[in-house]
Amino acid sequence: MSIVTDLLAKPGVIAAGEYAYRGDRFSHRGALSEDHARVASIMCRATTMSVNMEASMLEALQPLSGLLPPRGWLVHGPGYTVCVVANVFCLLDNSKGSINDLVGFMRQALPAVPADMI
Amino acid sequence: MSMIRRLLALDGVNVICHFRDDGYLIEGYGLMSHNDMGRLAQFARDYRRIAQGNADQLAMFSGMRGWTPPHGWIIRGVTQSLCGVANLVCVVDSTGAPLNEILLELREVSHW
Amino acid sequence: MTTLDDLMKLPGAMAAFEFRGSGEVLEQRIAYPDRINESTLDLLAHMCAANLSIATMQARGWEKVTGMEGFYPIQEFTLIGFDWSVVVSGLQREHYKQAGKFSLPPFMGVVLANESADYEAAFGILERKEPVP
Repeated sequence: MSIVTDLLAKPGVIAAGEYAYRGDRFSHRGALSEDHARVASIMCRATTMSVNMEASMLEALQPLSGLLPPRGWLVHGPGYTVCVVANVFCLLDNSKGSINDLVGFMRQALPAVPADMI
Repeated sequence: MSMIRRLLALDGVNVICHFRDDGYLIEGYGLMSHNDMGRLAQFARDYRRIAQGNADQLAMFSGMRGWTPPHGWIIRGVTQSLCGVANLVCVVDSTGAPLNEILLELREVSHW
Repeated sequence: MTTLDDLMKLPGAMAAFEFRGSGEVLEQRIAYPDRINESTLDLLAHMCAANLSIATMQARGWEKVTGMEGFYPIQEFTLIGFDWSVVVSGLQREHYKQAGKFSLPPFMGVVLANESADYEAAFGILERKEPVP
């Protein structure tokens, strides 16, 4: 089973997908239209790129910061949470799922990505 | 003579660097150590990608044309500023430097 | 007991801090100064300020384009680093805005060790509705 299928089986996950670090390819499953999944993948790629740059700058200025390489990021809104680890994103309904479980699963299932991939 | 070196002839330009797509410094000239030029190149490459990513999103959300692809970026500090165009970045004095001319020159040189 | 002190009680808490929207740290607690010092925290806060701004822009755009609400205002941004995570929030400010206040409290953040990080507990503290004076 792919990670996206596994994620969709988790409580509260309403959509999940993968995006390419470079270029605009993406795949997704769940309750998002093709167009909205494209928008989501563009946003996820942009934020992943930002946090990677920031972590490498932080590391350059303050070695052993413990943030490099970044594994992922979360944006927690009132109703939903975007959870991204490596190049996999998923959308969680806050009232139905557990962020800790999701992050734990994704951190374990997705290996750390070499910086030159991003 | 390197083509980018001619940027240094402009008033207020202190450093000019040319870097690869992966941020590796190809050549750099001016008042900065080679190590710091390497850091500047890496920063400029990262910053360019972030600015591009944000501009893409602005265009996507607003539906407004004319933002992407961005030509470059400027970070203006108190005494020093950074200008980036394509794979070039330069450090210029914040006061007195002919910024418009520098940007035009950066755009021209970036096409070579 | 302040929110910073409560954040420091979270499992794996390394540091907690208050910062301005422009990134300057206003107050901080550091559990292990040999691992995280003031200088790191200052950089981290500036980075988090940038990330919250970008995430807010994205939430705004996403809700406009998709009509799917539930992201704005951003309650927290979390960066899951290799060893540490940092969770930041400006939610208290939203409560002040809703109450019509112009003077807003600072943003808050906590640094957690990944192995024991409890994100939900961190969100819980940061989302606690403090009385608006």
